[in-house]
Amino acid sequence: MLDDVTPKKPVLTMADISIEFPTPRGVVQAVKNLNLTIHKGRRVGFIGESGSGKTTTALSVMQMLAEPGRVSTGTIDLGGTDILALNEEEMRKTRLSRVAYIPQGAMNSLNPIMRIEPQLWDAILAHEPGTPRADLKSRSDAAISSVGLPLHVGQLYPHELSGGMKQRVCIALGIILTPELIIADEPTSALDVVTQRQVMQTLNEIQAKIGSGLILIGHDMGLMAQSVDELAVLKDGELVEHGTVKQIIESPKHPYTQDLISSVPLVGGDSFLNPDKQANAPRRDSTQPLLRFEGVSKKYGAVTALHPMSFTLQGDTPQIISIVGQSGSGKSTMGSIMLGFNPPTTGHVLFEGHDLQRMSGTQSLEFRKNVQAVFQDPYACFNPFYRVNHALKFPFKQFGLSQGDKHTQQAMEEACVAVGLDPDLVLSRYPHQLSGGQRQRLIVARALMLSPKLLIADEPVSMVDASLRASILSNIYDLKDKYGISILYITHDLATAYHVSDYVMVLFKGHVVEAGPPKAVIGDPQHPYTQLLIDSIPWPDLQRAWGHGGANWDPSEQEAQAMKVGAVYRGDVEGFDLVRA
Amino acid sequence: MSRIPKEYIINRLITLVLTILIAATLIWIIPRLSPVDPAEIALGRMAAGAGTVENADEILATLRAQMGIDQPMIVQYIKYIKGVLLLDFGLSTAAFPTPVSALIANALPWTLGLMLISLIITFIVGNLLGALMVWEKTPRLWKVAIPAAMVFTSIPPILSGLLLMWIFAAKLQWFPLTGAYGLTVEPGWTWTFASSVLQHGFLPALSIVVVTFGFWALGMRGLMITVQGEDHTTLAKAKGLKPRYILYKYMIRNAILPQITAFALKIGLLIAGQVLVERIFAYNGMGKLLYDAILDQDFPVIQGVSYVIILLTALSVFIVDLIYPFIDPRVRHEVA
Repeated sequence: MLDDVTPKKPVLTMADISIEFPTPRGVVQAVKNLNLTIHKGRRVGFIGESGSGKTTTALSVMQMLAEPGRVSTGTIDLGGTDILALNEEEMRKTRLSRVAYIPQGAMNSLNPIMRIEPQLWDAILAHEPGTPRADLKSRSDAAISSVGLPLHVGQLYPHELSGGMKQRVCIALGIILTPELIIADEPTSALDVVTQRQVMQTLNEIQAKIGSGLILIGHDMGLMAQSVDELAVLKDGELVEHGTVKQIIESPKHPYTQDLISSVPLVGGDSFLNPDKQANAPRRDSTQPLLRFEGVSKKYGAVTALHPMSFTLQGDTPQIISIVGQSGSGKSTMGSIMLGFNPPTTGHVLFEGHDLQRMSGTQSLEFRKNVQAVFQDPYACFNPFYRVNHALKFPFKQFGLSQGDKHTQQAMEEACVAVGLDPDLVLSRYPHQLSGGQRQRLIVARALMLSPKLLIADEPVSMVDASLRASILSNIYDLKDKYGISILYITHDLATAYHVSDYVMVLFKGHVVEAGPPKAVIGDPQHPYTQLLIDSIPWPDLQRAWGHGGANWDPSEQEAQAMKVGAVYRGDVEGFDLVRA
Repeated sequence: MSRIPKEYIINRLITLVLTILIAATLIWIIPRLSPVDPAEIALGRMAAGAGTVENADEILATLRAQMGIDQPMIVQYIKYIKGVLLLDFGLSTAAFPTPVSALIANALPWTLGLMLISLIITFIVGNLLGALMVWEKTPRLWKVAIPAAMVFTSIPPILSGLLLMWIFAAKLQWFPLTGAYGLTVEPGWTWTFASSVLQHGFLPALSIVVVTFGFWALGMRGLMITVQGEDHTTLAKAKGLKPRYILYKYMIRNAILPQITAFALKIGLLIAGQVLVERIFAYNGMGKLLYDAILDQDFPVIQGVSYVIILLTALSVFIVDLIYPFIDPRVRHEVA
């Protein structure tokens, strides 16, 4: 990082900015008296949790605050222009040509009914009407190739591109008019680590080339450490700390910044969940293996999502088995097969000796009670029309566990306490009144109430703020440790898998490429693919540079190479037998 | 533009044929569940006209033979299906012995003309107003006026028809009261006839537009709100595109897609919905034909009209299915 570069002239000066949202219940102050200057060529990270005002601050520069938001005090100066004094038409012309926005949801940011090329052209034409077609074509081609995409992408529709490609198109769009300032709002939050590294490096290279200022909005301290020059830490609409990355990472002053840095789980050392290895999960009496995969595979049309896999998870020793991989590795397919939502193409899935696809009504009910799931999106898991206690009460009664309303209430309260929630505070609320972290804990509490034998957790913390991840993971860990529940933890996050699990399987294109205890597999990876994954993680550690191995990433070549190496088995754990391919 | 795969078209064709066959069968079964004997009704009608009827049993048997209802069910069914595929629905029992297909052929152009024109007008007006209810640049006055105009949507068509007749035909005398064309006008390809048809069609069309535009406007409003919240609309604004361009190319163009499917489905529903409008305005279309047939218990006509409604609906859905891959590239991706 170029910390000692003398600051050039400022591209953006925000002086005493306050942003408020008048609501029927009173005025909400989203940003309070913020002062910040961004210099030419500098990358500034806005870090903070959801609701900290980081996106709101950035959007105020574009004059694109959501209704009814407004800037109540202060001035915004973009390279000598007073943004707040511009009229609507002047502001429209300023957008993209002087300040570009790269949105968060790469998946839906492009117009689905238009090919890529016209979407680049209409942007140019909106600012430079009458640009001849040949000129448009050469400029869009230049933009597309500058982000490392092949030119034929211009002829495709958005749905024909992968998430990483769409995000690159958005970057190409952002730089097509060489703006003075680029605002990138969590541009990689929907991408896996390998793609994230490529996209961020592309964005940084191109920003350095055109010499614009960059605001990178995010909540991942590691990503910030590896990609920006300066950090602005926001909390509840206030700028609590601002400095170079080096200053902030190495000697954070504000306690909130310290929390943000320390809450990032690192790979290495002992698990923060079980540091003294004293954990002694209660054993269960069980004669039948809990879950058994017998040559299970899954094909979607011509695509093989999961190659034949066999393993046995014993019922007597509760373990946490992590399944890690990129998007498309087949890990979520495995999860849905285990839950019986998705029949395997070949093979059988047995739960306590019964084939999931051939269960009687009673067996199926028993299976549903014994196998619970925690999904990624804590927002989508609740029916918004009911108070949350309904979501907890309903399965409890449905499975005949309730012995009257008093008992149900007691069970709900106990479950809430077990996941660190105050039952009086949360149970009678509606889902929208709770935070993402609270909702996700309630989902864990709901699973706990049914005292299942197996919990399938599919990316349970990926949508939760970083500072809450650790505590939710420890809730999940307690399920095993205190309640003897076996857990399959599906994730793309190797650091959390390292801390939570007893055994890790790394999946790549539906194959297990490396498996064993986390300290071996993640702490000291042997397979080239696992190494690539670990290498792609941005660490909040300036000494540990983000490699540059991702630029030549070619999935088909990588697959061939990974298959050549074959699976690496790094040791076993009691109660789980993976059949070696 | 890549071609639509053959399997997709074959698939849709099979669906089309099956829909029509199943619907035709249901139309055949339902009247046969009723205890009414059409031959007896015809005899009753004769008796009412002539006072008494001799050899009632013989006549009844002849009528049954003529109507083909003396044969076993399966024979009747096969004959019916064969006929239906050739658009031959037998003879009307009320206007015996006029073929049902001739009655329909007379009524259908009137209804199609009235219906298609009013449906297209409603579709355009309704969707545009619905879109304007959401667009942030719509003048404030419009945002108040459009929802207020929705009041008309809650008026039953029969009332709005009477109201329009009372104001424009009875009081102001701008338009004729009833009929599809003037009594003194000779049908033909003449200017007098055409203007008479337009004059006569205006009020029925208006009464349909007024009561149904709200359906499109409200549906479009919901779709537009969804599209407005989507990331590509936000990015379009961040790109500095002109507001009107965003409205058409980014918002309406995406929001309209489900409405086009609804349009196809509405074609069939509208004939049924038009029954009362045609009745009030004494407009000789399919709606009036159906209404009279129900009063007369004229089963062949009821069957014929129902079949034509289904045929039109199925055909329009089929056509939309064929157009859809061209208006929504994602569908092409799924079928490929």
